[in-house]
Amino acid sequence: MADERVGRRARSRADERPTQAGGSDDTAVSRRAFLLGASGGVVAAGLTNALLSSEAAATVATVQDAAETLSGKISLTLTLNGKRQALQVTPQTTLLSALRHHLAEPLTGTKEVCDQGTCGACTVLIDDVPAYACLSLAVDMADRSVRTVEGEGSPDNLSPVQQAFCDRDALMCGFCTPGFIMATTACLERHKAPDLATVKRELSGNLCRCGTYPHIFDAALDAAGKQGGRR
Amino acid sequence: MAAARAEWESRDTLDVLNHDIPRVDGPEKVSGLARYTHDIRLPRMVYARLVVCPYPRATLRSLSFRKANRIDGVVHTEAIKQEGDAIAYQGYDGVVGIVLGETPEAAGEGLAVVDVDYDRLAPPLVTPEQSLAAGAPELRSGGNARGESSSGDADDVQAELESADFVVDETYTLAVQHHVCLETHGVVASVLADEATIYHSNQFVSGDAREFARLLELPNDAIHIITDHVGGGFGSKFGAGVEGLLAARLSRDLERPVHLMLSRRDEFLMAGNRSGSVQRLKGGANADGTLVALHADADRIGGMGNGSLPTPPYIYTVGESFARVRSVLTATDPSRAMRAPGHPQASFGMESLVDELAAGLALDPVEMRKRNLSDEAWHRQLDRVASEIGWHRHPNRTRHGSPDADGMAFGIGFGVSVWGSGSMPITICEVRISADGSISASTATQDIGQGSRTLVAAIVAEEFGLSPTDINERIGDNRLPPSVYSGGSITTGSLAPAVKHGAHLAREALSERVAASLACEPDDLVWSAGSVHVGGNSSRSLTWKQACALLGSETISVNGHWQAHLADQGVHGAQAASVTVDTLTGRVQVVKMVCIQDQGLPLNRMALRSQINGGMIGALSYALLEERVHDEASGLLLTDDMDSYRIAGCQEMPEMVAIIDDDDTRTGVMGMAEATAIPGASAIANAVYNACGLRLRSLPLTPDRVLTGLAAMG
Repeated sequence: MADERVGRRARSRADERPTQAGGSDDTAVSRRAFLLGASGGVVAAGLTNALLSSEAAATVATVQDAAETLSGKISLTLTLNGKRQALQVTPQTTLLSALRHHLAEPLTGTKEVCDQGTCGACTVLIDDVPAYACLSLAVDMADRSVRTVEGEGSPDNLSPVQQAFCDRDALMCGFCTPGFIMATTACLERHKAPDLATVKRELSGNLCRCGTYPHIFDAALDAAGKQGGRR
Repeated sequence: MAAARAEWESRDTLDVLNHDIPRVDGPEKVSGLARYTHDIRLPRMVYARLVVCPYPRATLRSLSFRKANRIDGVVHTEAIKQEGDAIAYQGYDGVVGIVLGETPEAAGEGLAVVDVDYDRLAPPLVTPEQSLAAGAPELRSGGNARGESSSGDADDVQAELESADFVVDETYTLAVQHHVCLETHGVVASVLADEATIYHSNQFVSGDAREFARLLELPNDAIHIITDHVGGGFGSKFGAGVEGLLAARLSRDLERPVHLMLSRRDEFLMAGNRSGSVQRLKGGANADGTLVALHADADRIGGMGNGSLPTPPYIYTVGESFARVRSVLTATDPSRAMRAPGHPQASFGMESLVDELAAGLALDPVEMRKRNLSDEAWHRQLDRVASEIGWHRHPNRTRHGSPDADGMAFGIGFGVSVWGSGSMPITICEVRISADGSISASTATQDIGQGSRTLVAAIVAEEFGLSPTDINERIGDNRLPPSVYSGGSITTGSLAPAVKHGAHLAREALSERVAASLACEPDDLVWSAGSVHVGGNSSRSLTWKQACALLGSETISVNGHWQAHLADQGVHGAQAASVTVDTLTGRVQVVKMVCIQDQGLPLNRMALRSQINGGMIGALSYALLEERVHDEASGLLLTDDMDSYRIAGCQEMPEMVAIIDDDDTRTGVMGMAEATAIPGASAIANAVYNACGLRLRSLPLTPDRVLTGLAAMG
């Protein structure tokens, strides 16, 4: 299945390491044997590239045929936190910048941190799928639905995820928090009863510098419990 | 009237403090309404982007804004340096120009078409080796090695080393680390003829006006600093910086507000770092584990700054020691304070050395540490973390383990920490109570994520039996009564006593009114659960609002001052880490980390656990991932974004156990956050050794270093 996070980069992290072979299954290739024989991976990579090249070529051709040059200010309408919203932006304006700088009443909850799709501070939900707003173009949002942290709840009426973050002290400086709120919200909409490993995987596109991860995991599992999952 | 002095209540009678207190600003942070400097939007505001030389040493050959000025929406361009000017180092000195636009896009497009060219100077002097090479140009007069100091008698040490039962003579090397504040450094400046408003992501609101005032030739009190929230600082956000001064001057010149937040790349180039270090340590111990001698020779690598490193033997007690420490300059951004400046580096050197000596003498490394640590606090703390991580069930306590049939090895390591904490006597906190029941506490401190805002509210709430959310706490504004910086873990010790004193004075003032109304002595009143009653007679009571209504047209306004007897200083901690080392791929995975930390009277237990976790996670990231890398030929910074400079994420997170040391019965308060960042990396490196016998004397513990080390072991 393709990565559902639009524009998300694959990150080389510990979760990608080969599953450890269990000692009980004597038909399994041992992990050592697999790794020592990993030169076979070259064959697999070559095969993947071949598959990619034909499909990718077709995709590129379609895009080029449909391409039109955009310039000046583009007018579009999108659904922003449930409300129709008109927007005028230049073609290179990212969704992140549109939210933060180009609305009559800017929505600055969505944060700019790395500006290159690494840290997840700008995570929003586009048609309910988590996406990095810094890698999404505003003009692509026409007739789509965008959810930001401001739409999830207000201080007097927090969403269950937002409330769990407060209760568990899942934030310190708070700059990564909106992104984590949105990623956690998306996680719980996909998984009614996620375990810790699922939470870690679903949030692994977001970075925190203060070191709130353990409390974020607690908050996510708490909120999952309140929607009928574990805990 | 002789007023009783303010005292912290005993821990077990506290209703708010010494409990888990949710952050009072949590709801606005989780709903995206908390406004950081980056989020400030003012009418007619323009956005700035810096033109930055990527080379450490260069001459500006040419700089033209001709194309940039034609970009729609570019408002102003300006050369900061002129053609022929020298760029002396990578960092602030590399700011050669600036582009301002009506939108971030316009400024960015303008920046992209600035024509700029440099003549690079060789060698770039980005490594200590380049700086110390014969004939290397001097980065400052007096040479590239400077500030050498030494202590102890080298001859005495040599004599002791000769008679020691076991000697380790090794070099420990630490890379330069970045703060990576998620909110970059920057300012939104709105300067008028006779006053200026400066929104500034910084760590010292009370002291922030001076540089701006000097630049703008305005009095200090014409500079209004506003810092509602800070997206991380970690020691790097002191002073106006080139970005702040440029924003202020251009706001004055253009008569428009200027938004100048550093780009992520500029942040890596010029917003500070934790200094690297090279420590040559020769240490000797007796067969029973007593450290008898240490000869230390250490370099601090702080770019154009001096770097920092506490003098070895750091925490440990050693019979005879000699240490020579100096700074080696490189043509890079000066180091800044970073969470426990110098300490993780010193810890890595000494904790590795002690571990190596324990291994050489076949001693339990926990027992070896306790033998050479003077303070009893460390002994109980080491026992606690050892127990929590399962050390006593671990088979390899006096020898290292070896990989299993699958190439995986498991090990456990330890480290201890110290920090001075302490406090400054400069905080004033005004507490006000009005007849309508509103109550505020105001002081110009800042919350950089440590929870100081919540602390202000919680201390006042405790005094009156209210909830922290009942208090209007006001911080982050230099027009409020003065307070301290956030640095050196002194905030709690400096802030909390003044808030407590203010709350105490306000309660005495309100108690007089209430006592007259309830016909009792002020000291007989009990404030709890949103009301006040006469002790022993709960029927004679008033609600909080009724009590405040007695003020009529008056307002209570009192200023609390720092009180020495409410603060204390000096914290200790111990950490343990367990790891698996994949000897086939070289990957180190931290399985579990445990930290115990003392801090006198705990004020917000939940925030303390957050700080402890944060310290461990920072250390884990330092141990496994973080390393600034330059291309040694060109001097270009290769790790200039958050892909190439990696910090720990969700998948690196081990099981974490954060323990508040309740055996510390001191009654004063103090900060502790820096201590928690110190020993974790040492513990992880020691765990790698314990797992498989691989002693890595250089951080981070990347797969290539692990595999290279394993190959060298044979």
